[in-house]
Amino acid sequence: MILAVLLIAAQVAAQDPRLDRLDPDTRAQVRVVVDSARRIGLPAEPLIQRALEGATKGAPGPRIVTAVRRLSADLGTAHAALGDGASVPELEAGVAALRAGATPEVLAKLHSVRRPPLTMALSVLADLVASGVPADSAAVAVLALAPKARDADLVEFRRAVERDIALGAPPAAATSVRVNAGADVLNAASPPPGPALPRRP
Amino acid sequence: MGIEKVESSDAELVRRVRAGDIGAYGVLVSRYRDRLGRYAIHMIGDREDAEEALQDSFVRAYRSLARCDDPARFGAWLYGILVNRCRTTGARAARRRRMFVRDPDALHGAAHADQSERLEWTDAVDRALARLAPQHREAFLLKHVEDLEYEEIAELTGAGVSALKMRVKRAREQLQRYLREAEHV
Amino acid sequence: MFEQEDDIVERMIQQLRRPVAVDPALDARVLQAITAPRPSQRSVWPWLAAAALLGALTIWRPWSRGSAADRPDTLQFVLVAPQANSVSLVGDFNDWDPKRSPMRTANGIWAAVVQLAPGRYRYAFLVNGVEWRADPGAPAARDDEFGTPSSVVTVGGKGS
Repeated sequence: MILAVLLIAAQVAAQDPRLDRLDPDTRAQVRVVVDSARRIGLPAEPLIQRALEGATKGAPGPRIVTAVRRLSADLGTAHAALGDGASVPELEAGVAALRAGATPEVLAKLHSVRRPPLTMALSVLADLVASGVPADSAAVAVLALAPKARDADLVEFRRAVERDIALGAPPAAATSVRVNAGADVLNAASPPPGPALPRRP
Repeated sequence: MGIEKVESSDAELVRRVRAGDIGAYGVLVSRYRDRLGRYAIHMIGDREDAEEALQDSFVRAYRSLARCDDPARFGAWLYGILVNRCRTTGARAARRRRMFVRDPDALHGAAHADQSERLEWTDAVDRALARLAPQHREAFLLKHVEDLEYEEIAELTGAGVSALKMRVKRAREQLQRYLREAEHV
Repeated sequence: MFEQEDDIVERMIQQLRRPVAVDPALDARVLQAITAPRPSQRSVWPWLAAAALLGALTIWRPWSRGSAADRPDTLQFVLVAPQANSVSLVGDFNDWDPKRSPMRTANGIWAAVVQLAPGRYRYAFLVNGVEWRADPGAPAARDDEFGTPSSVVTVGGKGS
């Protein structure tokens, strides 16, 4: 019964009229990829959007097909790392993070320390790398923030790091420079840690 | 948007804006955005409201640019507009939202206990600031965070220098008390 | 004794003095607001005044949605392109169709307002139907497998 529903859904997806923008050959190949993805529980929409992007940009058919196949594979990796409950935005952001250099282990770890949705955390990780921060530094920073920070905190952190880089901080050190500078200022002004720090009841 | 020409002085940029070069105003906005933003965020305590006040102030400044008597002191003049604008948001800030974490110590592979201590400190700071009366908070921020001289603050706020000194002194005393309270909870 | 008590206030001051990064898109919003035609002026673009007002009011606020999150967010995209004759906003949210979100202009500042459900979206500006530009104020999309630059916008919240 469920298999029948899935097959019908696959048929419907394949007939998506938006794909008519592709030439027949490319369209057929893209449909195959989309159908396969759907069958194993991956979302079709990101794949269709990637194909449409290629179409609008006038990319050659084979390049579009390659891009869609690559995305499908990466969605699979993200899905494996983030679990069945991952939403489409989370999977897309997961792909971005993976392509930025985060390992599936990092994604899985994020999944274990942070309540969903993980979209913003994964996005920030990818965006930090896009600004030049090395992938492992970005991962360490986001994982450290992830348990407690809200989405807004993560966005703020990303902006702050980008600003530092724009002002001349070497990207490789941008996250840790912020940390060290902060630590120095705090240590210089304060008595040794212990009873002096405020504590919650 | 575009590349800032850091060589142009404020006075030069103001002159160009007055001559019709709107892009030059964009440079001024970029130049002052973060610094003024810091004051607005601490004064108002809510990021949305602060950015709105900030945006508003920039727009007002542009529209009344003809009244900026000394273009070389554009920054100080802009500050005055912002300080006034922040006063009107005071009432709305009653529904304070928790300030987001900015503390970089919260990040880098810090041990979990350490990290939560840092977050608590930031919270304590924000809460203590929020408890000050607006006039005291304003004076305290302008003097100790924005580093203005008492004479400059007097110009911006319309208060006398000795009254301002009293407010800052009171603010420090109260903050000390609030912070000590927070750590003994 | 006095020094110790003062210490904690000094620590607080150091904390408050840390630089703050305001959303750089604020620059564009300010320019948008100051170039919008005032109601008292005659304008050949009466709808632009309304759009500019809408633009000034609807600001990207992903954090204000918090966890109440299935509602779409309203975002304004802005590009400064004084030389352009047309600019389209294209991305994952409109099937990369240049006809769907043409941008309106005042004084070389182009803008479009879009409602976005939570998610991560690649997008770019298509200038004069031929030139692809990324958004200078947004994070860059790393994968440009089609050879043109794109940007990314992420809207927080649950999504489907």
